[in-house]
Amino acid sequence: MDMTLVGGILVVCMLLMLTSGIWVALTLTGLAIIGLSLIDNSSIGLLLGTSSWSATTGWSLTALPLFIWMGEILFRTRLSRDLFEGLAPVLSRLPGKLLHVNILSCGIFAAVSGSSAATAATIGRMTLPELSKRGYDDSMAIGTLAGSGTLGLLIPPSIILIIYGVAAEVSIARLFLAGALPGLVLILLFMAYTAIWSIIRGKTSGVVDDISYSFRDKLLALRKLLPIVILIGGVLGSIYQGVATPTEAAAFGVFGALLLSKILGGFTIGSFLESVAGAVKNSCMLGLILVGAHFLTLAMGFIGIPNALAEWIASLGLSPVQLIMCLTLFFIAMGCFLDGISVIVLTTSVVLPMVTQAGIDTIWFGIFLVLVVEMSQITPPVGFNLFVIQSLTGKNIIYIARAALPFFFMIAIAIVLITVYPSIALYLPTLMSS
Amino acid sequence: MNALRRYFYLTSAVLSGASLVIMTTLILAQIAARFVGAVIPSSEDFAGWLLSATIFFGLAYTFQEGGHIRVTMLVTRLSEAKRRYLEFFNIVCGLAISGYLAFYTIFTVYESYDFEDVTDTYLVVPLWMVQSPMALGSLFLFIAMLDSFGIMLTGKTPQYVQNENELSASGVE
Repeated sequence: MDMTLVGGILVVCMLLMLTSGIWVALTLTGLAIIGLSLIDNSSIGLLLGTSSWSATTGWSLTALPLFIWMGEILFRTRLSRDLFEGLAPVLSRLPGKLLHVNILSCGIFAAVSGSSAATAATIGRMTLPELSKRGYDDSMAIGTLAGSGTLGLLIPPSIILIIYGVAAEVSIARLFLAGALPGLVLILLFMAYTAIWSIIRGKTSGVVDDISYSFRDKLLALRKLLPIVILIGGVLGSIYQGVATPTEAAAFGVFGALLLSKILGGFTIGSFLESVAGAVKNSCMLGLILVGAHFLTLAMGFIGIPNALAEWIASLGLSPVQLIMCLTLFFIAMGCFLDGISVIVLTTSVVLPMVTQAGIDTIWFGIFLVLVVEMSQITPPVGFNLFVIQSLTGKNIIYIARAALPFFFMIAIAIVLITVYPSIALYLPTLMSS
Repeated sequence: MNALRRYFYLTSAVLSGASLVIMTTLILAQIAARFVGAVIPSSEDFAGWLLSATIFFGLAYTFQEGGHIRVTMLVTRLSEAKRRYLEFFNIVCGLAISGYLAFYTIFTVYESYDFEDVTDTYLVVPLWMVQSPMALGSLFLFIAMLDSFGIMLTGKTPQYVQNENELSASGVE
């Protein structure tokens, strides 16, 4: 059958299946089965069996459930309170005051958690009540949280970068290095916006906490951050120095998180079991998606769609920057309706050959994709950070999305920055030996 | 029947959780062994197989908990009656695809058994042994979907729909 026709049928099937609410992972598998039967492949079932096996047994993939588990453990400790109490005194002098606590504690938590919704939930349930008690502007408190919660995706360890790395066959350690600087740039952009907003508004209106802290108070408060900083240093440091693979660092991170929760107290056998159940749920959800995505990538290769797309793009003679602009718009549209993981796996199975064809670096492209997915986390109607904050505050989703809008544009600026200066993402990976 | 159902999903969760814990312990043991200059043979391969077990064993439990993501934009906006029809359509498609997956993963494991395939690792293990969690787990998922389908036939709301509605704040996204 003609490939354009096969492609057309698959797109229609995909839209139908996804919007009617068939599980994303099963949709991917189903699409691959439909596609392969359209080209009269005779061993679809055997391909599915072997591809399911190889999709779920990779050594680098074992880092995925481990980092999820680590986040699930820390989610159940009083870490978020310690972050708040440690950061608040230090940030009380900046224009915007405690709004920056939202940004920085999300940034720090992101360095131990690989997910954006978990970051927003962990930090938000602590900071939002505190900020509103002190009379901070509601929409700004929500906006900073929604925006900086997305840092969980970019700042390593990042679940979505592991998935991209496995699917695109790129070194996960290098991706983790590449994500670090863009993450810091994003934090600075968020803080700059918050500071400028506060200055323009005159002062942080209606805030009641004019406590001044002495230098000693600040130092004492910062001590509360010490355990988490050591954990981050141990986990990320060992990957960056090349002494541990991401998987080993993740296992060590689980161990460290358990130790930390023991020291912080309040972590029971019950919370241990809950953390395992939470890790199981998220790992299985992602695992089944990976099974589907791996099979779909295989099917796409058989049908020949990715290569045909790559040739078509090459024949158009777009410059890489033009291509990136088109892709950004396409991904933002897709991200309005799909969650980030689905965007990534659909992309890697179809778009990647086109991207390498255009001479775009696959590590850089991974960071770019994550930034675009970050934007999609805070755009309605489907944006997971919006859902999390909705369940935390009870505010409606449009209100939250509007509060998050400035931060959407900050992420867009970050995309422009890494496009103009690719070395923001690519400098650190060059430092890694081998 | 309800007790059986509870045990079924509990088994799925416990097997998956145990695989995760054993996998973590194994990787930690390997790091510790390296410090004293010892090697645990094939530990990376075993970790990979345990990962596969973690993922597949837990599929049924995750399904029951409403953990497998899907686009619920349309279903949640429909009226009760129309939503019922659409959910029927979804679960029938789900049954077909997960049934296909279960059949062929079982077939793959059977072939490994039939051809007496072994792993290409330092410690040689029969392939069907390490592959069987994949087949069992896929079968569990199919049974879980069948269970929800049966509940729908009786006119009740299956568990996964109820659990989806209580949004889990610790989702991965």
